[in-house]
Amino acid sequence: MAKRVKAIVKLQIPAGKATPAQPIGPALGQHGINIMGFCKEYNERTANMAGSIVPAVITVYEDRSFTFITKTPPAADLLKKAAGVEKGGGTPNKATVGNVSPQQLREIAEVKMKDLNANTVEAAEKIIAGTARSMGITVG
Amino acid sequence: MPAYWLELSVTAAPEAVEAISEVMSRHATGGVAIEEPYTLLDDGQVAQPLLDAPVTVRVYVPADPGGAEARARIEEGMWHLRQIGFGAISQVSIRQLAEEDWANAWKEHYHVSHLGKRTVIKPSWREYTAQPGEVVVELDPGMAFGTGLHPTTRNCVLALEDAIRPGDRVLDVGSGSGILSLAALKLGAASVLALDVSPVAVAATRANAAANGLADRVEARLATLAGAAGEPFTPLPADIPILGAAIGTFDVVLANIIARVIAQLAPALLRATRPGGTLIASGIIAERRHEAEEPLRAAGLTDVRALIEGDWVTFAGTRQE
Repeated sequence: MAKRVKAIVKLQIPAGKATPAQPIGPALGQHGINIMGFCKEYNERTANMAGSIVPAVITVYEDRSFTFITKTPPAADLLKKAAGVEKGGGTPNKATVGNVSPQQLREIAEVKMKDLNANTVEAAEKIIAGTARSMGITVG
Repeated sequence: MPAYWLELSVTAAPEAVEAISEVMSRHATGGVAIEEPYTLLDDGQVAQPLLDAPVTVRVYVPADPGGAEARARIEEGMWHLRQIGFGAISQVSIRQLAEEDWANAWKEHYHVSHLGKRTVIKPSWREYTAQPGEVVVELDPGMAFGTGLHPTTRNCVLALEDAIRPGDRVLDVGSGSGILSLAALKLGAASVLALDVSPVAVAATRANAAANGLADRVEARLATLAGAAGEPFTPLPADIPILGAAIGTFDVVLANIIARVIAQLAPALLRATRPGGTLIASGIIAERRHEAEEPLRAAGLTDVRALIEGDWVTFAGTRQE
């Protein structure tokens, strides 16, 4: 092994659908790693999560070998599902496209707390409420 | 496919990243790439995120009128996010990239490489005619460690070339891609027991053994040796079998891991080496060489040689008769 970290790249991509196109190709290509190897492994690991965005954090080592872990879906993805909307409003802070309850906001904050590096659920809620607002999703 | 792409990047505080990613992904297909700053700990083996440092979010759009429109919408979206109070969000910066065959471009980084005095590592897509006395291992780099590009791998091959005798039985602890197991077989060993604690590595060892027509001489197992359980450097995944003395002894034992794990495994590694056999212990960063060397000597390693390349040390020695 004797691994030493050379780079870390986080990708927010649709589960089960990784291909060597953008953003994966340019983001990983510059590090010289086997991109098809990543796509194949990612698609296998996320096959049963189709329809969600599943972030992958890829650690590239000095000899261009790599590992990756998957994370919880982005808050925006969870908010859209909770509000039952296809996509956020076209312009942040303008149109209202949906609503989530304070309880739903709390649940999303609990799921996302660790990945957001938030110290408290309240801090995570604040970040997620801001994301909701930017998408035209109200809380109430 | 467009001939050119625009990479659009925005840098902001971590709490704004979710919202920025959402806005940017509305206007670019495929998803976003995020670069979070980190610091390296433990001689570069561990990357720790810097929690409050600015984060960069990137998307790629075609360099055409549609892409220009997407860029304008993203600029507009960032303006609104600033109004909501997400704090400092940088302007959108732009870099033009030529379309590439990204699925294959990485292969350009891999060439036929010569390790030791007579071992050649050849990616399957390269041509190579072996010179007299050379052995050629075909190896396609995947995720597992051991591409032949690391000094520790090169030093292990150098030590293997001296150690292997025809018909030897070899134990490879931490087999990664299987590169050292396969080199040992090509150099004349009869069989290899290859252990790794990563399922990805075990699968890679098996696949590379098959690609070299050596599948029947490599037994790759998800397992480690006794001794690694006591405060392992990386907590061991659950349910990894820990093999005891029942595995018997081997003519040559390889362990290209890291200093701390070598130190923990030293008694088990020596126990698995037959009296008079060779142990090659590697992956040891120069400043930690004593951390590994002392336990190896204490466990009975003699005639210790140190092979050094850059920051890395490989020890090769003999188990006392």
